[in-house]
Amino acid sequence: MSERSGQVTAESTAAEAAIVAVEGDPAVDGTAVHKRNLADSAPTSTTGRLTERLRQMRGRGAMEIGVIFVLLQIGCIVYYLVDPQGFPYLEKANFNVLSQSIPVLAILAIGAGILIIAGEFDLSLGANFTFCALVFTRWYSDGASPWTATGMALITGISIALLNGILTTKAKIPSFIVTLGMMLFWEGAALFYNGTTATLMVPSETMKAIFAGDLGFFRGQVIWLLVLGGLFWLMVHRHRLGNHIFAVGGNPAAARAISINPARVKIIAFCILGLCVAIAAILTAVRTGSVQPGSGRGLELRAIAAAVVGGVSLSGGRGSVLGMVLGAALILTVQDILLLGGAPGFYLDLFVGLIIVAAAFFNRMIEGKAE
Amino acid sequence: MSAIAPSAEPAGNGATTMSPTATEARTGEALLELSGITKQYGPNTVLDDVSFTIHQGEVVGLLGDNGAGKSTLVKTMSGVVLADEGEYLWRGEKLGTINRQETEKRGVETIFQDSALVPSMTITRNIFMGREITNPIGLMKIKKMNEIAAQILDSVVTIEGIKSPNQLVGSLSGGQQQAVAIARAVHFKRSLLILDEPTSALAVRATEALLNYLLQLKKEGVSSVLVTHNLHHAFQVCDRHIVMNHGRKILDVRREDTSVEELTAAVVEGPEGLRRHREGKPLA
Repeated sequence: MSERSGQVTAESTAAEAAIVAVEGDPAVDGTAVHKRNLADSAPTSTTGRLTERLRQMRGRGAMEIGVIFVLLQIGCIVYYLVDPQGFPYLEKANFNVLSQSIPVLAILAIGAGILIIAGEFDLSLGANFTFCALVFTRWYSDGASPWTATGMALITGISIALLNGILTTKAKIPSFIVTLGMMLFWEGAALFYNGTTATLMVPSETMKAIFAGDLGFFRGQVIWLLVLGGLFWLMVHRHRLGNHIFAVGGNPAAARAISINPARVKIIAFCILGLCVAIAAILTAVRTGSVQPGSGRGLELRAIAAAVVGGVSLSGGRGSVLGMVLGAALILTVQDILLLGGAPGFYLDLFVGLIIVAAAFFNRMIEGKAE
Repeated sequence: MSAIAPSAEPAGNGATTMSPTATEARTGEALLELSGITKQYGPNTVLDDVSFTIHQGEVVGLLGDNGAGKSTLVKTMSGVVLADEGEYLWRGEKLGTINRQETEKRGVETIFQDSALVPSMTITRNIFMGREITNPIGLMKIKKMNEIAAQILDSVVTIEGIKSPNQLVGSLSGGQQQAVAIARAVHFKRSLLILDEPTSALAVRATEALLNYLLQLKKEGVSSVLVTHNLHHAFQVCDRHIVMNHGRKILDVRREDTSVEELTAAVVEGPEGLRRHREGKPLA
């Protein structure tokens, strides 16, 4: 079989395959025309492998968004080269802004997106974000060590999400309604815990260097995104757990029949969201130095929107980490372009809204094709 | 062409589970024994005191009209549904708890009517779903899984149109999907294969391949339960036939002691038809 593998490519026709089969086994009769040789069909050339990769990306909904993102970047760079004063895109100030905002939304989108792949939603993401940021700043400004404050924020984020997960899976209440209620609960809890005034913190230099370091053209948040993005990519697309997350979101009955426990997988996905929320909250708190109840309001919808723009299917079972990150980057880049172009504030939401609807439309088309 | 797909060497943390007992045990030994199984859904008794035994290496046809209780019985055997009353014995031992995890561990695999696959995942990932080949920290060996998946698909099921193991299952036809589900069950060498209407979506050639496959599995000591509407398919391969009617077992007979006509009478007309057939009267 191995000596044949070089001859047959993924595109080989049935006739070619038949010839190869006859050569390999003289006893094969005429019916061999219909015999496939999948084992030999793995792409052997570099282009073949690349095509295969792109096809997989496409299947996960990450290709279109990638192409759009690259085209947008090229357009921006060309525009900047033509008119650097009127459109200061490739400037340090602009990259500083983008590299602070994109990682936070992208990390939230990864959390929200993984949960959506598993077939659930968390609308309390924004309230959880606020609460984590408050816990972090208050512990820190009350004199706790940065590690304690960070640990407390992580525990808070994961616990809030874990509670959602347990209520959703054990009590079998749809996550939409559980987390809608929990959103209001944790918004109220934030006021109870902190009062209406903003909590301030003065992060130490080390802390700034770790969570919001100035790397010249970029800010340190980008490193966090790259590291977390890489880890979550490994987990979602290469780890056994990721396979189970896709299975549970794509067809829970099939997962159960093969003895994957959907409740367990969903609870893990909720916890991942909690972890992402806490990290994003810490990154934001260190950057801004102040947190106010209600500051995370609406983030849940933006995170879900970023995931959907990135090709995550709202019905579960489909999506990619790369897409989620690109979705967040695309939304914020478009906002940035509008700001640089001097568009009035209300245009921002208007355009972001359009992008979301357009992305959902494209996804629908791709899904239609896949099924 | 080898009959059985080349199986994966157990890798990582036992990702590929095989039941060694499946081949060790003597053919004919009782594998699954159900006695007095009763199940009610509200006021409806869907299974009424059903008892039977499935032996090692036996192919059993489970027949019956719609609503006879076949599906519930299948779910009871696979541990998805818990019976209200009755005993579930596996190789003569009573299971402490009966659930899907326990039956899975013992090598019971069900291929459901509405194929047990995830449309948004690739063929490879579906085949290895829940039994991924991984390294010690759980990262999947995708290349290896792809290679094995391709070999399985080549040798187990002759279904045309599958281009690559990386194809999404959602892009396959119903018959192709069923073939993938069967290939998966076959590859993991289960000790009891329950096929719920497996041939309903398959073309003639694929059906023939599947039925031959059950016979080959039998030689290896694997038992299977074939749930079907098609009496001719069942008669062709099954050693024994169990006919269900309104939640009751009305016939449990070896192939040599029955005929397609008798089975037809039992399935279509229940106990009444069976009695009439035995008295030598034709179907009403």
